[in-house]
This record gives sequence, C-alpha cells and structure tokens, in this order.
Amino acid sequence: MSRTFVDIAGKRLSLSNLEKDLYPSHGFTKAHVLEYYTRIGECILPHLKDRALTLKRYPEGVEKDFFFEKRCPSHRPAWVKTAEVPLDDGEPMTVCLVDDLETLMWVENLASLELHVPLARAGSPDTPDSMVFDLDPGDGADILDCARVALILRDLFSPLRLASYVKTSGRKGLHVYVPLNRRETTFEETKTFSRAVALILQKNYPDLVTAKMAKGERKGKVFINWSQNDASKTMICVYSLRAREKPIVSFPLEWKELERLAERGDPEKFHITHAEAVSRTEKTGDLFREVLTKKQKLPHL
Amino acid sequence: MQGIWSGTISFSLVAIPVELVKAVEPGRISFRMLHSEDFSPLARRMFCPKDDVMVPPEEIIRGYEIAPERYIPITDEELESVSPERSRTIEIVDFIDMKEVDPIYFDHPYYLVPLKGGEKSYRLLAEVMGRTNMAGLAKFVLAEREYLVAVKSTEGALAVTTLHYSEEILSADDIAPKAGTIEAEAKSRMKKSIKTMMADFNPGKYADERREKLLELLKRKAQEKAPVEAPVIEGEEEEGPIDLVAALEDIMRKVKKSR
Repeated sequence: MSRTFVDIAGKRLSLSNLEKDLYPSHGFTKAHVLEYYTRIGECILPHLKDRALTLKRYPEGVEKDFFFEKRCPSHRPAWVKTAEVPLDDGEPMTVCLVDDLETLMWVENLASLELHVPLARAGSPDTPDSMVFDLDPGDGADILDCARVALILRDLFSPLRLASYVKTSGRKGLHVYVPLNRRETTFEETKTFSRAVALILQKNYPDLVTAKMAKGERKGKVFINWSQNDASKTMICVYSLRAREKPIVSFPLEWKELERLAERGDPEKFHITHAEAVSRTEKTGDLFREVLTKKQKLPHL
Repeated sequence: MQGIWSGTISFSLVAIPVELVKAVEPGRISFRMLHSEDFSPLARRMFCPKDDVMVPPEEIIRGYEIAPERYIPITDEELESVSPERSRTIEIVDFIDMKEVDPIYFDHPYYLVPLKGGEKSYRLLAEVMGRTNMAGLAKFVLAEREYLVAVKSTEGALAVTTLHYSEEILSADDIAPKAGTIEAEAKSRMKKSIKTMMADFNPGKYADERREKLLELLKRKAQEKAPVEAPVIEGEEEEGPIDLVAALEDIMRKVKKSR
C-alpha cells in the first residue's frame, strides 16, 4: 500500500492509496476526492462542525460495497475531536466531529465519500437547528416534480415569515431547510410542524405529493419525508459528494435558479459536479450559511 | 469508554482514584420482533388474563409468590429501604492467592482505569499483584447490589471480577459419582491421552461460529434484497395542532389561487 505524509495545521497525516480509483467510470481517484474536499473545505466545514458524523465508506470505490460507520474508528489520530452520544439503548457511543480540515482529510482518507450529519449538534442532541423536508421522488416521478413541491413549500412558508433554503440531494431529490437556531426548539415541534405541512400538501396535491412512507404509495409522486426531523436521523451534508457513477455533490440553489431549472425541464441540469461546486462557491460563497445562523420560530404550535 | 462507577480502591494506607469500565462486550446478535403483515416493530404489553385487558404501567406492582396464588406485595420504597448504600470505595479486606479460587465463582469482569493522580500507585499495585498472582477481595455495591469482588492484575491493568456468593453455587456432591477403585493402568492411559492434546490457551483460536455464519447470512441478504420498511404510524384523522392546520389551509388556498 502506498503512503503519503502530509502536514496540515501542524498535524501529520498519513494518506494511503491516493491513486485508488473511487469513481472508476470517471477516473476520479482518492487524490481527487481529497482535493475536492480541500477546496470546498471553507464552505462545508461550518456545516459539519460539532455534529456527530456518520461515515459512509466506499473503500473499493462507488461500484463496490460500502458500509456505514457511526462509531468513530478507534484507530483515529489523537487530535481527532470526538463526542459521546447516547444510543437508543442508552449505551454511549464515541463519534467523530469534523471541525477542521485535517479531520476532514482523515475521514476522506478512509474513503468516506458521503458525509451524513444529524440536524442537531452533539452538545445539544435534542435541539434541531433546522427543520427539513426531504423530497424523494417515487418511481415515475423525478427531480422536476420535487422542484414543484419545493416551490410550493417556499410559498407556504413565506407568509408565515419563515425563510427557507433548498439544496439538491445529489441523487434524485431535493432538501428544503427551514433554519431555526433557537435553543428552545425540539424535534417534537419540528416533527409536528413538518408532518402537518406534508399532510396539507398531500391533501391539496394528491397526484403530486404523498406523506406516506410505504413504497407503494409513492409511485409517480414526491414523498415528503417529514420523519427525518428526528434526533436519530441524519441528512447528507451540503457540499458532500454522493457515491454514484459521477462525482456529484449535494449543492445549494437559489430559489430563482430552482424556478429557472423547473421551467427548463431538464432533470440533468440539477446535477452539480465537484468541479462546478468549487467554481460556483468561489463566486457566490456558501449559499447555505444562513441555515446555520438565521433564528426563526415556528408559529402556531 | 464511559465509566460505570468511579471512586477509590484502597487498602491500609493506599487509596487510588479509579473508574470502573466494562471488560467484555458480548457479541450477541439480537433481533427485533416484527409484525409479518406490515413489518411494524412489535411492543410488549402487560396483559391481565382475568380482566382480559392491557394493564397500564401505573397499575402494575410487584408481589413475592409465597405459595401458588398467594403473594406478598412489595413497593419500590420498600425495595429501596433494603438496598445497600452506593460504595465510594473498593476496600480490599484480604489478599488471596488466585490459584485458590475455583473459576466457578467468577461472575462478571470489569476493568479499573486509573484517574488523575492515581497512575503511579495503580501501576505499582498492578505490577506487584501480577508478579505474585495475588488478588484482593473486597465488598462493593454496584447497581443496588452488594458484590464480593476479586481485584487482580491482567497485563498491567487492574481487573475486577464480581464473584458469586458461596450460597449461590450449587453443590457438586450429587453430581460427582460415588468413590470407587480405578485401575492404575486406566489412570495412566487417561493421563497420557490428555497429555497428547495439551495446548496453550489461545482464545483467539475458538471463534463463535454461529455468530460468524449469522453475520455472513445477514450481509448476503442485505446485498440481495432491500430491507423491509416499517410503516410510519400516522393517525389519519389528526393532522396537527388546530391553529397550525388552519393557518396552513388558509395560505394553501391563496397559494393555489396564485398559481
């Protein structure tokens, strides 16, 4: 196994198998993955900070087996920050916190192409920072249908004085975030609210939307997965790569752009590649930064 | 690793601050019980067969069965009144030779981790006990039960093993066959065949085969087929808080009109 040593912020890191082709049909190697995350670091790190990372590792690349790793691997360097979080059975588990570039490089060296994080920070696991609507198209529906639903959500929230933000999932769906950033918020509230919203949309757009988890109910419709608003669930982090054929990322879009994309009607145009992600953030900065800071209160609860 | 207990381990003039952590993690694979119709995870409920009803937690009490159908009810407070005080120390009262302890007494193993300031005395105690194969006996309260424990040295660390009380050990008297004469030749034959099979104890050699096969099976099934999904429990009639639903309905009407 080939090894390369790098020093980041005074910390020594041993990188292995940099030439490993992780996206074989695109010749995108582990070195490319590390380069992407270095260049997007400034944008992604605030969104990973203090959150219990779930690693989704693809040691043999995207075409081979993957595995989820919630526990922070015990062979971690001493400088990797960790937190103890309770499991369902009450037993604590040590998780990684990716708070700096060196830790991000270390998890990417483990081929953790996808970075999944909870909606709450590790220090306050019962306080969601935002409410999320995970729009997942069933068979026969596509991202254009998701865009229609996302725009309805935006128009529903705006009279409630709730700003919302949208990103691509990097797969087939869209994620709409409503930042909250208040210590008083609970998952019970975000779940109650998001479920009520999902049921209203299902009632008013029965051919477009379903709020039901059952696969059979989703055919030709967009499933609004409101149940993601839970302390035990994780979302793909904004700017994370996805493990599909092409190195595509979960990327934030302005509402205007989503409107344009919805009008153009080409699902492919929603795919933001790693290169596009880097060049776009260089121009616009992090379109999702307000998700971390904007304080909003859910009304009528 | 999360500590189960912290305090000091002491004898005569020595007191070492320590934390108790678990020493084994059983590799048992457990399953959830599901409803085969819709894959909902099942819940356990207490059922009263006489009244033919489910019994809520506030109506459940404990009773000690003294004869069939005859019980002495006992409250949580009464149970608590006989629970021993939580230990602050593991006070070693005797040192014994480990060879004298029949392994049948060993119940559950833990490790002791030295806390700040205790490292040096910890190392000293572990080293001396390890070299002499001695163990310290102590009484110790953990999770409301008083245990007899043996503190011994394992590869430079201190380990605590809870011991069964002698009254818990079932006698082997009825199990051992009655004494009788055994021919010297048979004895030596037995000794010889045991000797040919002598090996060093190498626990890594004996894997839990069922566990490995089961993991293999689960992995294969996970690859072959997507997992079944439990339905989300949703009360169709209840859409959410009335105010919220009314506000959303109102906005929805306007949104639909403008589209």
